[in-house]
Amino acid sequence: MLRERLGKELIYFDGGMGTLLQEKGLAPGELPELWNVTHPEEITEIHRQYVEAGSDIVLTNTFGANALKFHDEKCSLREITARAVSCVKTAIRDAANGRTVYTALDVGPTGKLLKPMGDLDFETAYEAFREVMVMGEEAGADLIHIETMSDTYELKAAVLAAKENTSLPVFATAVFDERRKLLTGADVASVVALLEGLRVDALGINCGMGPEQMLPVLEEILRYSSLPVIVKPNAGLPQQREGRTCYDVEPEEFARLMKRITEMGASVVGGCCGTTPEHIRAMKALCRNMDIRPVTEKEYTIVSSYGNSVFLGNSKDMQYGSRIIGERINPTGKKRFKQALKEHDLDYILREGITQQDNGAHILDVNVGLPDIDEPALMKEVVQELQSVVNLPLQIDTVDAEAMENALRVYNGKAMVNSVSGKQESMDRVFPLIRKYGGVVVGLTLDEDGIPADADRRVRIAEKIIREAAKYGIGKKDIVIDALAMTISSEPEGAKVTLETLRRLRDEVKVNTVLGVSNISFGLPSRPVINSAFYTMAMMNGLSAGIINPSSEDMMKAWYAYHALMNLDANCERYIGRYSSVPAGSGGSAAAPASGAADMTLAEAIEKGLKEDAHTITVSLAGSKEPLDIINEELIPALNHVGEGFEKGTVFLPQLLMSAEAAKSAFAVLKEKMDRSGLVQEKKGTIVIATVKGDIHDIGKNIVKVLLENYSFDVIDLGKDVPPEKIVDTVLENGVRLVGLSALMTTTVVSMEETIRQLREQAPGCLVMVGGAVLNQEYADMIGADFYGKDAMQSVHYAQTIFSDDKSQT
Amino acid sequence: MEKRIKEAVRYLGYGRNAADETTLALIGDAFADLERIAAPKSVCRIFDMEQTEDGRIIVGNMEIKSTSLSRNLKGCVKVVLFGATLGAGTDRLIMRASVADMAKAVIIQACAAAFLEEYCDEEQIRIGSELEKQGLYLRPRFSPGYGDFDIGYQEPLMRMLDCAKSIGLTLTDSFMMTPTKSVTALIGASPVKERCPIAGCEACGKTDCEYRR
Repeated sequence: MLRERLGKELIYFDGGMGTLLQEKGLAPGELPELWNVTHPEEITEIHRQYVEAGSDIVLTNTFGANALKFHDEKCSLREITARAVSCVKTAIRDAANGRTVYTALDVGPTGKLLKPMGDLDFETAYEAFREVMVMGEEAGADLIHIETMSDTYELKAAVLAAKENTSLPVFATAVFDERRKLLTGADVASVVALLEGLRVDALGINCGMGPEQMLPVLEEILRYSSLPVIVKPNAGLPQQREGRTCYDVEPEEFARLMKRITEMGASVVGGCCGTTPEHIRAMKALCRNMDIRPVTEKEYTIVSSYGNSVFLGNSKDMQYGSRIIGERINPTGKKRFKQALKEHDLDYILREGITQQDNGAHILDVNVGLPDIDEPALMKEVVQELQSVVNLPLQIDTVDAEAMENALRVYNGKAMVNSVSGKQESMDRVFPLIRKYGGVVVGLTLDEDGIPADADRRVRIAEKIIREAAKYGIGKKDIVIDALAMTISSEPEGAKVTLETLRRLRDEVKVNTVLGVSNISFGLPSRPVINSAFYTMAMMNGLSAGIINPSSEDMMKAWYAYHALMNLDANCERYIGRYSSVPAGSGGSAAAPASGAADMTLAEAIEKGLKEDAHTITVSLAGSKEPLDIINEELIPALNHVGEGFEKGTVFLPQLLMSAEAAKSAFAVLKEKMDRSGLVQEKKGTIVIATVKGDIHDIGKNIVKVLLENYSFDVIDLGKDVPPEKIVDTVLENGVRLVGLSALMTTTVVSMEETIRQLREQAPGCLVMVGGAVLNQEYADMIGADFYGKDAMQSVHYAQTIFSDDKSQT
Repeated sequence: MEKRIKEAVRYLGYGRNAADETTLALIGDAFADLERIAAPKSVCRIFDMEQTEDGRIIVGNMEIKSTSLSRNLKGCVKVVLFGATLGAGTDRLIMRASVADMAKAVIIQACAAAFLEEYCDEEQIRIGSELEKQGLYLRPRFSPGYGDFDIGYQEPLMRMLDCAKSIGLTLTDSFMMTPTKSVTALIGASPVKERCPIAGCEACGKTDCEYRR
């Protein structure tokens, strides 16, 4: 019933609850939801006023009702929720006079921040929402209204919980600020893309600002949304007056602005903080009999991450040029990457992501498929880790259905998905996932009969994919067709067929396109020559996104030049920004090392903390000298020298770390060389390090890690907020002799103590060194640690002592 | 040299030593990043307060026992509950640098701390000038965790400010604030103008601290 009315007539929400409750005596900090049980008459009375004022939807007083806030001290969550629904129902029965009024279960944020920024697990948040939503549906709510969300990840957890566990319509609104962003950074397009992908019934904005300030945000929501839009402003911006929060927009003014908001295209309107039944009454009086603007299908192709949206497309009014999808997070043909996957060296993978972003990628392809690897688990982990350091949208690249679903579930935003093909089995498997989680899916132009040799049949497969997707409610805007590049070394017509396919997909099918560009030159020498020329041709034929290596200067030259030439780079700004500082004659090649590397030794570069120079010098040095000699004669003495300076107080932490990073870049060169020649650098010993459970500050632990690695220790970094059990298990599994624990605050030293206790019990041979802001020797002794390191160098010395003792014993 | 640069250098452990050129350049970069990425937000509410004979401090529904806070608030009639954060973007900036380059990470983290203090000072001056119209003068900020003011008071304090909703500031189960570059505090307001209200470090009892100003 509500679903039928939605988007066809103007629907009125109710207004603020908190301000009215405070007038009735709710104290600051008191949990308003308890009043459903302790003061049901007052709650019902407020609802009744809204029903009388003309609200079509009345929210239950359950904004903060979730298991994370209510620990069943006074009354159960079930009771609070049931009473809340019954308060609204009573008000409707008493005052609706036969008019249909809906009861919306109000669901606000948990009040906690999700990982990786906070300590709340995605699935714990999901569970908290699920619980109250199921209770709400059982109690008779007609819809679920998720509101005041300031984090896309939490928003996703809430919407998924509602969609997976109830059959109710789902409305979702978020709080934007004057910068048109959520508190956690998401822009308007990424919120709209996320919510549409999750297939809510209506979306919009509430709280945070008054109606006037919301106008620019609303304008943007309306531009992108193909769903009915909800607007629930505060009665102006909050003002502090004599210790009270006041809202100054009067009912008449509010009504006038809400009329304007309705004219702009909102179809569900109401009020948030500071609005009263009078505001709703005035609004309804002014907007009565207004026709709403019909909701139209928008054609934007949007992929997003938590804070960033990327548009694709080259049709008439959408000229986004060609997007760069970074291809480097993929083990295919990369020995070093395969090794990183096997060793669970996530930092290596994360750095590949960061480098690609720095080099200009707009989206990152993520492929971690390797035989003998638990791809579903690893994919989930890599996606979460990448999203903590890179804000680019990701392209989930896997053939494993479980890995794909895992990644889509934990992904914060609307992902790109690589891929589906024209094979029925593939479409049957992938489309349900896209329908459920949202996403822009890459459709490969191949089917049961393989890859067609001509453009005509590739286009037909594309059309079939689009038709089949439509059955799932997945629109053309959420499909990007891969025209497939076949190497010209075996397919002489390969490039021509691909280019024709691209052109026809753009002009005839009007769908976005993607291509793994470098396949074109497989088997040929000097591949960048062919690749970059083909890349330009592909862009010319409409390529919406190319999967390329953004660290390849040839490819980037082609990209910058194409966009400058085709007037897709206003005033050639990006081109000039990139190439104006390149000296004439060098032809725009990659920047040379920072300083005069010629007359500098490796030891000097490390002592001065010059990362690029250390890298360059090591590359040239490695041509004539054995890696182990370089390590022993240059690297270690330089590190020792810097370390001594640090301890004497002549070198300070930033310099110590710059040297460490320089050494690290030198080690990376040597490691690659040794791996190639099958040499293994002897590790001094394995150390587990972790920031203890409950603690989310890991900068100290990370400093220690960099230094220990410099000194050839194998470090297993368990990260932050690590439960004691996990530390113990890792120690036992790997037969580890030394553990380093970090804690910042008195509240988390308790977990440190508990970790030590468990280690003593289960791994009695293992030593424990500790460090962190609140610790000192006395404290360390008290919790039974073996060593207290007041700085990172001390932990290195201690580790050296322990492992040299080890050697003398064996 | 700008105050915030001096403060960042102090947080980096330089003590009375001068920072080297490279570090200073990276500090400059870090502040530029923060100007772009940090989204400082604050919230405050003013309450009447009462100090009982037996040493309790009563602010709204919150009752606090703390000798150090009592000393700080002595003679005050009102108290400002204050919360501020640089937002999640700043944490992400630090996390990213921690993977890419630890030297940058520690520098950004020090600069973020200085940036946050500067922002809190500005906000406090703004709040103070409002209260001066009523003849009230602010004391230095005092945060849970200072002296014997138990960190557990973060929870009621942040609930009274509705921090999660108003500025996106939340608390972990271990009473750590997330985003991490955040401050909560009580700021006393008294009818008697005392010394300069912006102090902190100097007022602390831990005189052997290596970061002491």
